[in-house]
Amino acid sequence: MTAPDAMGVADDRADGIRLLRDSAAAIVPRGGPLGRIRALRDTEAGFDRAVLGEMGAFGWLGLRVADEAGGVGLGMAELCALAEEMGHGLAPEPLVAVAAIAAPLVPEEDVIAGVRVLLPAWAERPHTLDPAGTTMAAIDGATLRVTGRKIAIPMAAGADGFLVTAREGDALSVVIVENGAPGVTLTVEATVDGGHMGTLTLEAARCVRVAEDAGPRIARLLDEAAVATAAELVGVMDRAFALTLDYLGTRQQFGKPIGSFQVLQHRAADLKIQIELSRAAVGHAAAVCDASAPAAQRSAAVSLAKARASDAAMLVTRQAIHLHGGIGYTDEADIGLFLRRAMVLAASCGTAAAHRRRYAAAAPPLDLDA
Amino acid sequence: MNEMIRSEPGDLDALPDDAFRAHVRAWVQASCPPELRHPPKRLHWSETKPWYMALAKQGWLAPGWPREHGGLGLSPAKQIIFIEEIERHGAPRTNDMGVTMIGPLLIRYGTDAQRERFLPRILAGEDIWCQGYSEPNAGSDLASLRTEAVLEGDHYVVNGSKIWTTLADDANWIFLLVRTDRAAKKQDGISFLLAPMDSPGIIVRPIVTLDRHDEFCEVFFDNVHVPAGNLVGEPNKGWSMAKALLGFERIFLGSPKQSTYALAKLAQVAEHMGVADDPVFADRFTRLRMDLDDLKALYETQVAKLRRGEELGPDVSMLKVWQSELYQRIAETAFEIAGEEGVMLNPIGGNRALNPAAAFIQSRVVSIYGGSNEIQRNIIAKNVLGLPG
Ligand SMILES: Cc1cc2nc3c(=O)[nH]c(=O)nc-3n(C[C@H](O)[C@H](O)[C@H](O)COP(=O)(O)OP(=O)(O)OC[C@H]3O[C@@H](n4cnc5c(N)ncnc54)[C@H](O)[C@@H]3O)c2cc1C
Repeated sequence: MTAPDAMGVADDRADGIRLLRDSAAAIVPRGGPLGRIRALRDTEAGFDRAVLGEMGAFGWLGLRVADEAGGVGLGMAELCALAEEMGHGLAPEPLVAVAAIAAPLVPEEDVIAGVRVLLPAWAERPHTLDPAGTTMAAIDGATLRVTGRKIAIPMAAGADGFLVTAREGDALSVVIVENGAPGVTLTVEATVDGGHMGTLTLEAARCVRVAEDAGPRIARLLDEAAVATAAELVGVMDRAFALTLDYLGTRQQFGKPIGSFQVLQHRAADLKIQIELSRAAVGHAAAVCDASAPAAQRSAAVSLAKARASDAAMLVTRQAIHLHGGIGYTDEADIGLFLRRAMVLAASCGTAAAHRRRYAAAAPPLDLDA
Repeated sequence: MNEMIRSEPGDLDALPDDAFRAHVRAWVQASCPPELRHPPKRLHWSETKPWYMALAKQGWLAPGWPREHGGLGLSPAKQIIFIEEIERHGAPRTNDMGVTMIGPLLIRYGTDAQRERFLPRILAGEDIWCQGYSEPNAGSDLASLRTEAVLEGDHYVVNGSKIWTTLADDANWIFLLVRTDRAAKKQDGISFLLAPMDSPGIIVRPIVTLDRHDEFCEVFFDNVHVPAGNLVGEPNKGWSMAKALLGFERIFLGSPKQSTYALAKLAQVAEHMGVADDPVFADRFTRLRMDLDDLKALYETQVAKLRRGEELGPDVSMLKVWQSELYQRIAETAFEIAGEEGVMLNPIGGNRALNPAAAFIQSRVVSIYGGSNEIQRNIIAKNVLGLPG
């Protein structure tokens, strides 16, 4: 298979990305068994902190942190390649949240090492991309305190603390609250993939500011997390599709492989088109991010990628179930794990609907000559 | 036996349709345990037994069976009203394979001895049946099934396995399609056999479904001895007998009930998410609703045939395709509008009606079972449209 990251990426960089993908096999072997993922379903943290630590040791969590600050200083093309590999193997560790948001905001050794787990908490209602809701931070005497409510925080129960976006006066800050501290209440609800999402209620909770007047920076980091999540979805749909193609080639009915029925061939061709549209959109969005494009251009490219990848992953995994027949409707077949993960990732970092809405607002006027 | 379970007085068939409907409605409302209404998943015998037994006591378990066999002997028109009322109330599907499949089969093809032996036990809830057709390597291509029954003296010896057998772990009997002639053309070497589930050599393995529920099983047969008298009809004629029963399944799967209920739940999810009045959502919702109205109209044309006492043709496959895909689109819409709330395993805010993720996952099955939608389209293409191939 040709390296899709080669799109818009120089040769030596493409080589680096290939090496990074190969190194991902240490944690998520390409096409490897999914026993670890099954075992982590419905556990309290939902992921394995030791594995997150290994990801830190490989330098993945500090991928977006500059060399000088103790990171690796690589771009979004690299993070997306890695995220795609994680999607392939359904790794539940919050690699994207930490590498794209937490480590760049708090480039401290224990965060980059995956020892201290900080997870972003920015959304306050469904179908939004807006990190500025009604959560407020203010100085009370000598201490900064934050009050508000944040929802849809994936894997929240496994976090040591949260990076909360909060208004301070007219500007947007990011503050850290510690999980379990006074005034910090976390409730979690199980998600269909065996993980969970948390809701954080903050009542004059002590916090530490890590970024102030940071609206544009937060928007960029959230965009980068959204592209990386789209890349993860590409990995999910790509592997689900590979499993399905394999099944179409081997499952025999009416004396021939079911993949020889033309209607299923066309279905597979349609799914392939969706996967490649998603991959191209993600590659483009990553390149736009890496080129430090203006915010509107970046937002449009990112929303394009996340909306496409979310819808395509849902379509591919739905069809994957159907094309497996009865076995597709079982929990013992791995294919169902992909549908369930696609559902959760499609709703993470902005739903397709939210991204379409933003695209409509951010995209330049239609230019028929371009 | 029949006196004991029949408490319904008078001749229901003689009632005018409206009076009959009101009568059924009142009884169903009073008799179906409320906690069983609109179950989010297929329920087990331990849960549906009270409802099954309530129907049995009333003598209403088998509205379509002739009276001499303990049924109500209702006209097709009345049977339809009966089913409509049960569906309208959201009464759960019971372990109904005895009533809907094996009973009618025995009435049509069985011997007197088989009818006397099995029918009363179905009506009394003493025998619970499951359907053993599909095999690991024979799904859409059912006629290639390989579970074999070899006649040895006065019994058959059965070897092989069946899979996706719904609620097999509740059943004490299984009806089987088995190969009895390996040399014949594949459809011609299949027989219909009845086996007690406690026969030595039968092992049942429950399979966890995609929605992490136990609903179907794999059933293994290792030198299972089945009395030769448990063969229904003639040897090697099982395929055509089984096919004769499929019309029921296809119209059942085309019933608008599933989509109607799903649409009502979609409206509730929309209300909860605050998008009920959003013009984009309203357009999507209206489209689905109109699709449902058209389904009802199409369904009515098939029902009218039944009412006239006609057999259903291959065009009934259109209902299954349209209803199953409409139901899936409704479930997908609910999942999409629920956004971040739509990925939760449990109902939103503990409200059982608001569980878009589970409903979405469960909706995946309807295009697979009861003859997959590709198979239905093949039927339409070949048997309705007469296309070559
Ligand atoms: C919830 C559930 C309950 C069930 N209950 C029972 C039961 O109680 N008893 C029982 O006997 N069976 C039962 N079944 C089995 C059901 O009938 C089969 O799953 C169904 O017939 C499909 O067979 P399969 O699973 O082997 O899929 P396959 O036949 O292997 O099909 C795999 C895919 O290939 C497609 N395909 C196959 N042939 C063609 C073709 N010619 N052209 C185009 N596409 C094709 C199918 O549409 C499907 O998408 C149940 C199944 C489910 C999911």
